[in-house]
Amino acid sequence: MIRASGVGVAIDGTRILDDVTVSVPQPRVAVIGANGSGKSTFARTLNGLIAPTEGALEVAGIDVVREPKSARGAVGFLFSNPDAQILMPTPAEDIALSLKAAGVPRALRAERAIEALRGYGLAEHAHQPAYSLSGGQKQLLALAAVLVRRPRVLVADEPTTLLDLGNARMIGDLLTGGVAEQVVLVTHDLELAARCDLCLRFDGGRLVQAGEPSEVIAAYRAEFA
Amino acid sequence: MIPLVLPRRTPLHRVPAGWKLASLVVLSVAGAVASSTALGAAIALVATVAVYVAGGIGIREWARQLWRVKWIIVLLAAMQAIFLGWEAAVTGTARIVAIVLLAAAVTLTTPVADMLDALERCLTPLRIARVDPARVAFTIALTIAIIPVISQLRAQIREAQRARGVRLGVRWIVTMLVGALRHADDVGDALTARGVA
Repeated sequence: MIRASGVGVAIDGTRILDDVTVSVPQPRVAVIGANGSGKSTFARTLNGLIAPTEGALEVAGIDVVREPKSARGAVGFLFSNPDAQILMPTPAEDIALSLKAAGVPRALRAERAIEALRGYGLAEHAHQPAYSLSGGQKQLLALAAVLVRRPRVLVADEPTTLLDLGNARMIGDLLTGGVAEQVVLVTHDLELAARCDLCLRFDGGRLVQAGEPSEVIAAYRAEFA
Repeated sequence: MIPLVLPRRTPLHRVPAGWKLASLVVLSVAGAVASSTALGAAIALVATVAVYVAGGIGIREWARQLWRVKWIIVLLAAMQAIFLGWEAAVTGTARIVAIVLLAAAVTLTTPVADMLDALERCLTPLRIARVDPARVAFTIALTIAIIPVISQLRAQIREAQRARGVRLGVRWIVTMLVGALRHADDVGDALTARGVA
């Protein structure tokens, strides 16, 4: 459950998110809008990556403004570029890093990392250099590293942008298949957005529409007609 | 695709990381202070072959590792040949190459995580000086992971120059630095988002 009330973000005097008020109980939420519309900034406030400079924001029952650390534990974040998200030399070590951050004892990490990789068909690549994986495999690894901590909410910022059609569909299927209690997808992929339960449209740093994905997507398309 | 570590079960794989690293240090020092003879250099190189066989790495990988340091070999041999003569150049270079090959064997038979754990244990006394060994080990792991990203960045700049038919000259360094700093920003966000920082 996301509850935003008058959320705004201003950086160096420039307002990049303005007065966002919305209540989102739906499990699958799409966030759409043009480049620079504020949708990624909104997504980053949800797990405390960017602190709102005004308003109140609650995600999974946690006050993100007051408890950003707790929010990061409950809200996983998937970036569009997995190269920036994969922090360790091999997939097994990268998953182990997430387990370490989640407080899993050292003795259990290696085994659980392999288990997690097996779940995503990556076990055979466990000890290979992460950089040698394909784009789709890297994004799967990044997703596995987030989900191994079992976040209640998952926020994905343009997760399919750098992927080919097959990999985009696979990642899209995973993300909309109930991997967390609530999944927020910031996306330009309108097919993926249409598979969600609710769609939010941003423009000029403001939330301009929230509703049924078919209606919101139609309005967004009409903007460029 | 060559993995960072060969996931096999050989006697060399079973040796704890700390012992391997300590042995490497001892052998490196011994190699540096031992007197140079052609026989000693030959024994050192044959010993590296034995280590590669014991670790299930194989002669082919041994040759590949040798090929990777070919320019270092050429440079070392040339410098020593000029200043010390041919015999000293051959024996001196062979000793250094043997140490490089042994270091590669350690890397290929030891998971990075195990090496970092060993390093973390070694650095524990530094806690007195308020150095956090876990943080040092993590920083090294992060550096290892980022090297290929920076290398990819360099390749992208080179390709962009070719595609556009332009030459940046030494200015490519500025372009790469900008890319590296941008990547560092993203990594910072990832550290925060993943609850590591």
